[in-house]
Amino acid sequence: MTARSIAWVAALGAAALAGYAGLAGMRSGEGEPWASRVVYACDQRKAVIVEGVRSDEKLPPAKAQRVADLLTDLMRYCKEEITATIALDETITVEANGRVFHDYVPGGPLPIAKVSFGEPTPREEQIWKAELDKLVAEGDRLFHSDEIGTNGVACAMCHPNASNTHPETYPKFQTQLKKVALLRDMVNWCILNPLEGPELAENDPKMKALEAYILASRRGVALEAGKH
Amino acid sequence: MMRTRNRAASACWSVFALTLLLVGAPARAEELTIALPAGVLAPIIPAENPLTKEKVELGKKLYFDGRLSVDGTVSCATCHDPRHGFAEPRPVSIGVGGAKGVRNAPTAFDAAFLATQFWDGRAATLEEQAKGPITNPVEMAMPDEAAVEAKIAGLPEYGPLFEKAFGDSKVTIDRIAQAIASFERTLVDVEAPIDRFVAGDANAISEAAKRGWELFNGKARCNTCHGHVSAYPLFTDDLFHNIGVAAKDVNFEALAGKIASHPEDLDKLSHEPGINQLGRFIVTKEHKDIGAFKTPHLRNVALTAPYMHDGSEATLEAVIEFYDKGGNPNPWLDGGMRPLALTPQEKADLVEVMKTFTSDGMARFAPLAELMPKP
Amino acid sequence: MAINLTPKELERELRERSPDAERMIRSLQNCDRRHFLKVTARFAAMVAAAGVIQPQSFQLVNVANAAPAPGENPEVLFRFAYISDSHLFARGMTHRFAKGLIKAVDDVNAIDPQPDFILYGGDLAQLGRADELMLGQQILSGLKAPVKMMVGEHDWFLDMGAKWREMFGPDVYSFDHKGVHFVVLNSVQEEDFWTAKGYTPEQRMNIVAGLDDARQSRFEVGEEQRDWLAKDLAKVDKKTPVIVFSHSPLYKYYEPWNFWTKDAEQVQALLFPFETVTVIHGHTHQLLTNRIKNISFHGMLSTAWPWPYAPQGLPEYTVQMFRSDPFNQFDGLGDGTVDVLEGGAANKHYALWNRNPRTVSYADLAKNTLVGPRGHAGPSY
Repeated sequence: MTARSIAWVAALGAAALAGYAGLAGMRSGEGEPWASRVVYACDQRKAVIVEGVRSDEKLPPAKAQRVADLLTDLMRYCKEEITATIALDETITVEANGRVFHDYVPGGPLPIAKVSFGEPTPREEQIWKAELDKLVAEGDRLFHSDEIGTNGVACAMCHPNASNTHPETYPKFQTQLKKVALLRDMVNWCILNPLEGPELAENDPKMKALEAYILASRRGVALEAGKH
Repeated sequence: MMRTRNRAASACWSVFALTLLLVGAPARAEELTIALPAGVLAPIIPAENPLTKEKVELGKKLYFDGRLSVDGTVSCATCHDPRHGFAEPRPVSIGVGGAKGVRNAPTAFDAAFLATQFWDGRAATLEEQAKGPITNPVEMAMPDEAAVEAKIAGLPEYGPLFEKAFGDSKVTIDRIAQAIASFERTLVDVEAPIDRFVAGDANAISEAAKRGWELFNGKARCNTCHGHVSAYPLFTDDLFHNIGVAAKDVNFEALAGKIASHPEDLDKLSHEPGINQLGRFIVTKEHKDIGAFKTPHLRNVALTAPYMHDGSEATLEAVIEFYDKGGNPNPWLDGGMRPLALTPQEKADLVEVMKTFTSDGMARFAPLAELMPKP
Repeated sequence: MAINLTPKELERELRERSPDAERMIRSLQNCDRRHFLKVTARFAAMVAAAGVIQPQSFQLVNVANAAPAPGENPEVLFRFAYISDSHLFARGMTHRFAKGLIKAVDDVNAIDPQPDFILYGGDLAQLGRADELMLGQQILSGLKAPVKMMVGEHDWFLDMGAKWREMFGPDVYSFDHKGVHFVVLNSVQEEDFWTAKGYTPEQRMNIVAGLDDARQSRFEVGEEQRDWLAKDLAKVDKKTPVIVFSHSPLYKYYEPWNFWTKDAEQVQALLFPFETVTVIHGHTHQLLTNRIKNISFHGMLSTAWPWPYAPQGLPEYTVQMFRSDPFNQFDGLGDGTVDVLEGGAANKHYALWNRNPRTVSYADLAKNTLVGPRGHAGPSY
């Protein structure tokens, strides 16, 4: 929409409000928490709920202006259905795409897509997660098995639930290797030494699986490369 | 390319520095810097002993001077012999009057880098170390430090040298030690084929040595204690480990039971037959240090046979065999020791790679060998 | 022998020393030549200043664990040793776990004089197999002093303890020794999780063998055993010291790893009425200390591998071991002894391999004044 048409819509909206309020001429419900009224934009997809004003009541001018400004602002998101609520204390809560954003300031960014192409579909996300879970499960299996080494020791014996692996601290100087190492360097060292098994090639699927399991178990831990 | 230029530059600088030493530059107290390749951490020099040409010159003279010993026959160089990598070619060092010690004297070369001196680390600096053998009855056997000072003060050629180095001709044991330490700080080189190989020159070492390097850092498990770190390429972790060198001949419990009779005289304990095998425990009295000895650095290791604190392994091959069997079992054996199951080829490759730890520029130290007494 | 310090010198040396070091210096003043190394005052002060030597830790294996002669150091009534959590595979004597158990047997055999008995803390086998248990029995048969066996989950869940009971006798029993009442529990019972799923015995064992395997149930002592315990304790005077041997900790530390006993509160309730109670437990493979009211809890070291400290739930009394070095196959492992004092309290000694030993004394535990080797109790990594 062009700026002109937005302004035109806003003006129409405001006029409609003013007109309605004038027709009604009823006592104000301002300040009453149980009272709220809804104002729609012309596309019927944007709504503003004003708390403290009864549904049949005229909006005071200042509040009306606020509603209009807010509707105009939300009209940026052409195709979305958005509901905003102006609370008694004047804070604005916006609900869009099933997500809620508090303390919204008109003009500020709303992290919802203005357009819908490019976003992964739920189905895609499901497939990606299934593939990752499969690799993590394989890593989990290897991590707990005795097939990586030759002496029966499993990684999980010293690292239950992959604890004490600290993958978020790599790269760091690894004192056993006497050089700065990545996670997979240390995995290989552990395979060679405590597990007495043959090292894995760096692009070996088993190495990837083990790394996936270790990293997945430390999801959310802040990266602190170099921390010993 | 930058690197080669720096290496050439540093080699030149070292030669220049040494030439000045040998030729005898005019007397000025100018501070020397030890030239090292880029990225290598410099050895720590105590603030109270800044390195000067004059001190180095004095130290060199003292290092080779048998008169520091009671009968004039034993100098620092006797056991830290420039003809043998500045180390001891006999299993244990022999002092005045044929007194047999219990240690194979470690190499003085590159010792400037190390965190501690002596096999049990009881000296924190080269200065501290230098004082030990002079008054040790099985080494240079001077009765006490005062006797050393008096003897050197009584030698006329030293007066001017002390004056140039320290400002006046007063002879103190500390000055003697500082001068010797200063000289030892010039016995430094960390540029060997292995360093070039690690830095990326694929042709620096043979194929056998390359295989050996893989083993050194892999199956043979050497690098965790003897690691090459580019900032500190000494092949030592500066820590103490019980690898069971003399363990089969020794009863640690009985020995430690005797130790309290003279707990503070660490020099004496470290040379006492039997007790000395307690190693680092003598210094720290910590349970975990029983029978533990310092990880020696491996620079020039091919030149410094025999090996281990008691010189019990005569060759590099013997050392590999020792590690291959997992050392000698004893209750305090370091848990990092274990049988390695090396094949004969792997053992040979490991020996090959250790030979690449010998510095390229050792020739410039050859003139020092000329200072040894002729047989 | 005597320390030749004037009282003023002694006080000066003792000022600001750790409580352990202070106790050592004071005890050295009364020491007997036979059992303690000859020490000069300055040496004692030196080691105290280093702060690294605890009273029992200075000595070598045979001297360290020497029980004092009667009349000397009258606090210690007797001493027992412990070896625990060996997790043997039946892969011969050169397998690293077998080497660990052999090392522990050598350690305990070198103690002079010998401890009164040795507690084996459970998990002798890794997968509960007969050949694993037999290997363990073979190695333990090298011990000179008598052995009291206790079962762990790795011994039990292949055949629900059939082989264990055949080889070692009842899994639950009690005995009295020098005025102390000892109870040995099977605290690794699990609610049946296998029948409904149709798991084979091997599958059941493998699931239980996984510390982080959530398919198993939580450990418990169980109602039957609690009944037995209540009856057993009913015969014991409340003033009699009680020492409980248990594989699971008998308190709640970290549920996902079964560092946990489901009915811990009920078991503790049976123990609270007694004046002095000590629990010695296995399973956790780490230096671990706790105290709940009048009960002290001490974990035993493993001879096979160390567990890391759990992400949460660590009792505040514990002064942690520093993270172990995987290059060193014995790091973080060991065996140890327990000194039972007059009055029944216990000092727990950890003979850590390749590290300085550590003693957790009853006195410090009761006052919550345990400090680490560097003088602070904080976590070390």
